[in-house]
Amino acid sequence: MESRVLKPVLAVYTLLFILFLYAPFFVLAILSFQSGPEGGPQFPIIEWSTYWYRHIFGMVPPSRVAPLPLGEALFRSLTLAFMTMVTSTVLGVMSAQAFRRKFKGSGLAFYLIVLGMMVPGVLTGLGVSLLANNILGIERHWWSTGFVTHVVYTFPFAFLVMLAILNRFDASVEEASWSLGVSPARTFRKVTFPLIFPGVLSAMLFAFTLSYDEFSRTLFASGRDQTLPLAIYGTFSVEIHPNVFAFGVLTTVFSFALLSVYAILMTLSVRRAKKVAMQEDIA
Amino acid sequence: MSGTAVRQAPQQKSRSSAPWLIAPGVLWMLVFLVTPILLIVYVSFWTQTTFKIEPTLTLQSWQAFFGSDTYLNSLWTTVRIWLIVLASTFIIGYPTALFVGLFVKNKTLSTVLLVICVIPFWTSFLIRVLAWRPMLGKEGAINILLQKFGIISQPIEALLFTELSVIIGMTQIYVVFMVGPIAFMLGRIDPNIIEAARDLGAGFGRIFWKIIFPLSLPGVVVGAIFVSVMVLGEFATAAALSGRKVNLLGNIIVTQVGSLKWALASVVGVILTIVMGLVIAGFLRIVDLKREL
Repeated sequence: MESRVLKPVLAVYTLLFILFLYAPFFVLAILSFQSGPEGGPQFPIIEWSTYWYRHIFGMVPPSRVAPLPLGEALFRSLTLAFMTMVTSTVLGVMSAQAFRRKFKGSGLAFYLIVLGMMVPGVLTGLGVSLLANNILGIERHWWSTGFVTHVVYTFPFAFLVMLAILNRFDASVEEASWSLGVSPARTFRKVTFPLIFPGVLSAMLFAFTLSYDEFSRTLFASGRDQTLPLAIYGTFSVEIHPNVFAFGVLTTVFSFALLSVYAILMTLSVRRAKKVAMQEDIA
Repeated sequence: MSGTAVRQAPQQKSRSSAPWLIAPGVLWMLVFLVTPILLIVYVSFWTQTTFKIEPTLTLQSWQAFFGSDTYLNSLWTTVRIWLIVLASTFIIGYPTALFVGLFVKNKTLSTVLLVICVIPFWTSFLIRVLAWRPMLGKEGAINILLQKFGIISQPIEALLFTELSVIIGMTQIYVVFMVGPIAFMLGRIDPNIIEAARDLGAGFGRIFWKIIFPLSLPGVVVGAIFVSVMVLGEFATAAALSGRKVNLLGNIIVTQVGSLKWALASVVGVILTIVMGLVIAGFLRIVDLKREL
């Protein structure tokens, strides 16, 4: 093959591609250290400073740039993400557990669940808003209508992760437990759950981060009180200042902190599983 | 004998428990996904007056949509931007997928490369869109770099707040959904087939068009479906990067809901659903995914 020529060319191309994916964010991160309050959201950097980071935490004297309305929005987003994570993980584990045996209508149920991640947020958001506003006549809130749309979106992810885990799951350990007279509920708690725990952790991570960043469904379904993405979206229409950039850096750092916690928990659970396996070998 | 009896009992138990395990999830989706979408169809025929909406069926909002240039234009804009972004994600993404899926023989390296591509998804969607503003602006990074290298003397103003900026932004955000499935399909190609073709004297071009590309087609279709669904349902990128100049169907829905015109918003919602259904059906005709995957 002409791979002697083609391979390096494609390698360079892939590097450029990765640059394309990352460059905007690096520019944003650099500009977040613009001096304030007079420095604008563009080059050149007048003077390097952490002014806009302090601006976010309200640690600078008031200026013409209004502080971002983050405090309560952050609380709402975290609460909502937590609620969504718990609900969709529970639903995901249950549904995937059901799919271990063929049942009538399983194909239809599968498509119905996966539909939730395929339908665009505009449509889910609009539909749920119509249901609340025009049929039921109830007010929309982030913790009610917003919450159900988030679960519609994240539950399929949790479900698919659990399905993948349970597909590789060795059912004979469960059968062994049953044949020893352990009840199914206790078997699930003591045998099945510890084995699928890494999957549960991944499902939780997916659900939490997807909900924390979710925007289009929330825009329609969450009513008056803003979540974090909505607060950010509100700054789009007016003039932007580097404080939004600083916030972008902080929220990215937060996401990666979350990812690291996940990685640590994952390593620990894998290590523990190995330890148990080794002890069994010795015994 | 007793052994099999014990083994069968729990199996039967879990078979009878399957409905109870699946019911909550299915119910959730029926109530909060299927019902709302059917509701969009229903409400699109309601009677809308300036201040309220009544469940008297009428075609008024549908006529309003097809009688207005603004709305019809947004339909064409949506289709046009969808086609352009689809093409650009494919053209920009395919070589990367080719490298990651076929040329990188080391499994760890190709996983690392894919992870690098996915990492940006752990940052907020809106922040990723917003990040294009300091890149593309008149005093943005691209203009400054181009001027520094003497490629242009005047900053290009057409970069930001135009259709082009929306297309660039969407391409960057969605291209990974194209790369992933294609790389996956390319990774599954049996190297012996390519080896055999080469032994028989085929050049790379011929091998690519006769073997590699046809075998990667299911990945292209899956990627295209992902990108299409997401681009067609978009509105935030257009709102943030076009300065409200580009109005997609999604943007129309947002504005109509904002001014409580539920019926018209629903009409646009139905049209969006139909367009998406046609697009997905079209792609599924190209490749029989069930057989290929």
